[in-house]
Amino acid sequence: MPKHDTPLLDELEKGPWPSFVTDLKRQAEKKPECWDILGQLELSFKDKITHWKHGGIVGVFGYGGGIVGRYSDVPERFPGVAHFHTVRLNQPSSKFYSSAKLRDICDLWEKYGSGMTNMHGSTGDLVLLGTTTPNLEPLFYDLTHNLNQDLGGSGSNLRTPECCLGRARCEWGCYDTQDLCHTLTMHYQDEIHRPAFPYKFKFKFSGCPNDCVAAIARSDFAVIGTWRDDIRIDQAAVKGYVKGEFAPNGGAHSGKDWGKFDIKKEVLDLCPTECMWMEGDTLKIDNSECTRCMHCINVMPRALRPGVKQGATICVGAKAPILDGAQFATMTIPFVEVKKNEDGEFAEVVEVIEKIWDWWMEVGKNRERVGETIMRVGLPTFLKVMEVTPVPQHVKEPRSNPYVFWQEDEVEGGFERDVKEFRKRNAQ
Amino acid sequence: MALSRDELKAAILEKATNAPKPQLYVKDFYACDPEAKPREVKNAANDLVKEGKMTFWSSGSTTMYAAKGRAKDEENR
Repeated sequence: MPKHDTPLLDELEKGPWPSFVTDLKRQAEKKPECWDILGQLELSFKDKITHWKHGGIVGVFGYGGGIVGRYSDVPERFPGVAHFHTVRLNQPSSKFYSSAKLRDICDLWEKYGSGMTNMHGSTGDLVLLGTTTPNLEPLFYDLTHNLNQDLGGSGSNLRTPECCLGRARCEWGCYDTQDLCHTLTMHYQDEIHRPAFPYKFKFKFSGCPNDCVAAIARSDFAVIGTWRDDIRIDQAAVKGYVKGEFAPNGGAHSGKDWGKFDIKKEVLDLCPTECMWMEGDTLKIDNSECTRCMHCINVMPRALRPGVKQGATICVGAKAPILDGAQFATMTIPFVEVKKNEDGEFAEVVEVIEKIWDWWMEVGKNRERVGETIMRVGLPTFLKVMEVTPVPQHVKEPRSNPYVFWQEDEVEGGFERDVKEFRKRNAQ
Repeated sequence: MALSRDELKAAILEKATNAPKPQLYVKDFYACDPEAKPREVKNAANDLVKEGKMTFWSSGSTTMYAAKGRAKDEENR
């Protein structure tokens, strides 16, 4: 029996799509506090303002992240959501859950919370929605001791690192994304669980430039698999695609008849750098011009594969549009071999991360993402900090400033000069 | 000369207790010891939280520090 009238929310149940309103009503039969979520949300729609207060001090002992305090500003009307904290879990690499694990998480949340989850939604995390302050410590104990799982990151912490399926299920993985993600998660436990930075910092790991976890758009530190030699070509398979023996895109678009495969129209003409052409029935690629867009490889996976000298490109500074609009990450390290050393650490990657952090912790303003800091001080300054020699790919556009700002070490004799001697020669 | 860890913690706690604003960003504590590295200041502040002398306040996206009892919470808003 509904506790509140929700005419505005009821509109969201119309239409062919699944509705969170329907889910909430169903859950409310088991967990009555869910009626109060619906009631408060209906009021927010009416008032055109949120009725959640801003932030709080809740957490579990020893941790400064993973729990986000949420309190209603109308608790007398909706007592079920007076406290309604959210909990972020650190997912397994590539989100490889077993169904048993998912059932355990759901059972845990039915026991200590509202039973509602936000399963890897826009925050990327597995978020458990809605519990009270007294339930936090028992929940954390059961989560870590019985489910062998940890809280994720929130606040000014390193956020829960995320990776694509990688080599576990994908032939294009240019490094072991799961290993890197897991190893760095363990290496940076302190940064994940306790605030460390001027603002949030996110790692994301993609095994190839298809970038299935959108690292280049959504992470401060994006490690994206690439190769430094030539795309491998199986010319016999190229001929097979041209003859129509193999479905393009692995058959992904086979639900409709798109006509005969046209390699010129569907591959060569769509290459962003126009670095592909046919000589008779042989496919040619000018690999020096390839920008790793992956289109040709995606269309003809039997015929084309990434090269064999594999590693990753590190891009820094993506963010969502809170200030100054959304921003893609900037390519900073063109190529790094993603290999463990004898201590089991990805030392080369760690070195890059810590160089960024040491600089950003010092120079970054409060609530400033590292990408915004780079924009503020300029890419040349950031590259100098990173001890990276600029390459043409770092240049966004031809310079519009006619002045050349020499550094002292680039000028013979430096900036020191004998002023008296200068005036002797140049006296009026 | 850089402060010792205990001196740094005392300076941070003093600032957190007496600053006009009840909640401070970690960068606000850098001035407690200009010679200390940001990471040392952060670790000292986090130690004070562990010892129960300060608390974290988080909006979900940003975390701030407050001396115990000074942070805004649901009871004193």
